[in-house]
Order: sequence, then C-alpha cells, then structure tokens
Amino acid sequence: MKILIADDEALSRRLLERTLGRAGYHVIAVENGKQALEQLCKPEGPRLALLDWVMPELDGPGVCRAVRTRSEQTYVYMVLLTSKGSKEETVLGLESGADDYLTKPFNAEELRARLRVGERILLLEDRLVEARENMRFRATHDQLTSLLNRGAIMDLLTRELHRSHREQKSTAILLGDVDHFKRINDTLGHIVGDEVLVEIASRLLASVRSYDFVGRYGGEEFLVVLNNCDPAFAPGRAEEIRKSISNQVIQTAKGPLTLTMSLGLLLSSEWRVKPVEELLHETDNALYEAKAAGRDCLRMAKPSTPVEVAPTTSPESARLRH
Amino acid sequence: MSKNDERHSGHVWNLAELLERVDNDQELLRELLNIFKEDFPQTMRALQSAVNAEDLKNSSRLSHTLKGMLSSLGAIRAAAAAAKLESLSSAGETASLEGAFNALEAEARRLLPELEAYMAEVWH
Repeated sequence: MKILIADDEALSRRLLERTLGRAGYHVIAVENGKQALEQLCKPEGPRLALLDWVMPELDGPGVCRAVRTRSEQTYVYMVLLTSKGSKEETVLGLESGADDYLTKPFNAEELRARLRVGERILLLEDRLVEARENMRFRATHDQLTSLLNRGAIMDLLTRELHRSHREQKSTAILLGDVDHFKRINDTLGHIVGDEVLVEIASRLLASVRSYDFVGRYGGEEFLVVLNNCDPAFAPGRAEEIRKSISNQVIQTAKGPLTLTMSLGLLLSSEWRVKPVEELLHETDNALYEAKAAGRDCLRMAKPSTPVEVAPTTSPESARLRH
Repeated sequence: MSKNDERHSGHVWNLAELLERVDNDQELLRELLNIFKEDFPQTMRALQSAVNAEDLKNSSRLSHTLKGMLSSLGAIRAAAAAAKLESLSSAGETASLEGAFNALEAEARRLLPELEAYMAEVWH
C-alpha cells in the first residue's frame, strides 16, 4: 500500500521512510505541503498520508483542508505529525480534516498500529464504494441481458436528443421486436426464451459502436440509439442490425433456432423538437407497420409535414420508404 | 550533576530509545547520524544569523526544524532547548532570544562529542 510522508526535515523524513518501508509500505516522501498535495491529487495517488504540521509552502492542516475540499474522489486517511501538545492545537488539526495525529518523536509500534486503523477505514470505504457501484449498475441495467434498462436508456436518449438538436446532428432511434417470440416461450419454455434474449442482446451490442446505446425496452423489445448518425447511413445500419439477428441461428438448450426481428426507425433530424415519448410512439408505429408488412423488415417513421432539412437521397432509404 | 551522570541518565542522548526507533538497524543509524552531521551545523549557523538579526519568523522556523531533528535523534535536552527558543520566537520575546540560543549551543556542545564517540566506537 502506498503511503505519503511529508516532512521538511531530512533526518525525521528518512527515519519515517525506512520505518514504513520496513513495515511493507510503498513510501513516497516529499519535503513540503505543496508537493504533498500534488501527490495526493494524482489519480492513483497514495490514500494514506503522514503530514508534518509545520512545513514550508503549505502546512499540514492546509494540506488536510485542501484534500477534503475535493469531492467524488477516494478517501485519503491523513495523520498529522506534531510536536505541538496543546488541546487547542489538536482540535485545530482534527478540524482541518486530519483523521488522527501523532506526537513527535514517534514510537514505531504506535505509528504502525495507528496506520493499521487507517487501512481498516480505507478497506471499509472500498467495500462501500463497491457496493454502491453494484447498486448503481443494478438500478440502470436489465438483470437478464445486462443491457441498459428502460429508465436508463430513456434518460440517455433524452440527453442525446437535446445534444443532437443543439449541435444540429441527427440521432437515430431504432425500436426492434423479436418476431413470434411468444411462440418460443409457449412451446420451448421460458429458459429458452431467456437464452434467446441474452443472445439477441449480445448481437445488438456487437453491431453498434461503443458510443451508441442498447437497452431492453420491454419483454422482447429492444431500443437502440445511434448517436450522431448521418441520416444517409442510418437505414443501412438498421438493416445490418436486422440481419445480425436473422443471418445466423441461435443456439439454445432445445436446439438451434432461426429468429428474425422487425424494426422501426426514426431520424431525429427529420422531426421538430418533440418530447422523447412522442418520438418513441412514432417509432413504435413504424415498428407496427413492419410487423403488418410481414415481419423481418424495417420501416421508417416519417413526419406528415417534413421539416426543412436536406432530403435524404441515398437510394436505400428511398427504396425503404416505399 | 556530573558529566558522567548525565551520560547515564540518557538525557543528553537517549541512544536506547533511538536504537528502538530504528529497530537496531545500524546502517540506518549511521545514515541518520550523517544527515545530522551535515544538517545540524548549517541550521545552527542560519539560526544564529536570524537571532542576531532579531528575525523572529526565521528564528521560529529554524528552531522548529532543529527541535524535530534533535527529538528524532533522541537528543532530549537539546530538543528542549530548541523548543524553548521556538516558543520565545513565536511569542516575540526578542530580548530572550540570544540567551536561549546560547543555551541551545551549550546543549549541542555536550551532545556532539557523544555522537562522535559513538560513531568512532562502532564504525571505525
């Protein structure tokens, strides 16, 4: 474990360095408070610190105060080293944000014991952060497929639509529904149904770029958001996504299955600014059209009175529209 | 108290405490004494100038540094003399600085031969 030592006096610094090195710490030793703060603010910087009270540039309590004002970073356990003995000064040191203080000259055994207290607290913090991250993931992801859940992808889509409007770019909204999924559940059982959903989720993820979003919108309905997507290329990319489902069988416990997906597509640049729910409703209507047209195909949602945008001229999108 | 008694009381230089602090690491002890031999006279000279110039800020800072150095080394009496000079400097007792500095120097004169003797005995 890394530990920072800040002391402007060479003899004491060397003594600490060796004592802690022998105790198994990876020691970083600096000569003043400014250097201490730089080390502690590094992304992978030490999380344990022994700070001398009186130092040039910035004193120990000053370092503590500066470290504590940073937010959203991992906790640093700080011990002030002081030859000052009065109660008032001890209180001042602790109120500056130090976790503990030690009086110089230190006793090696006491020093090690107090640092172990610090390590216990840091370990506790690690566990809490890990638990919080797990909760955050579970709150935003679908348990079965690990895709974004409906709430999370709606939030991201809302943000993305604002951005693309502001930057005069286009966001492509793609709503896909697995064709005849109910039959799988009814005839082969839910376990196979789940296997199919997991496989489809991974194919969808594999067919988009890292900055696109894929979410589970409902039972067998998936929402794909292609960020900053050129309207001329969107239908082609949607077709690729459709084919990624149909062009290869899905292996399940009950044997291989051939499945298809119907898709509705909406390009935000073709529409006036509307609430995300309305745009999704339009996309859903296009998906319904794809189902009505025989499934395993793509339909686009078009506004009845198009807004003034450059018309999409790619032959593929022209073909799809009719 | 005779010179011999002081040596035995360990108040000039508490070697036992220092050995415990370095975990009987002779190499580290030697390194620390070498740092001390280099830094102590330099800091003392700077402190003398500050005291002569009645520069309270530097007198306080330098006597604080000496206090840390001396107490890490286990030089209890000299550390106490440095602490006294530090608190007088902080309190602005300009008139008492010179006397306190002389007291610190007197402690240093008792301490240094002990360190030299130990170094000669152990490493030469």
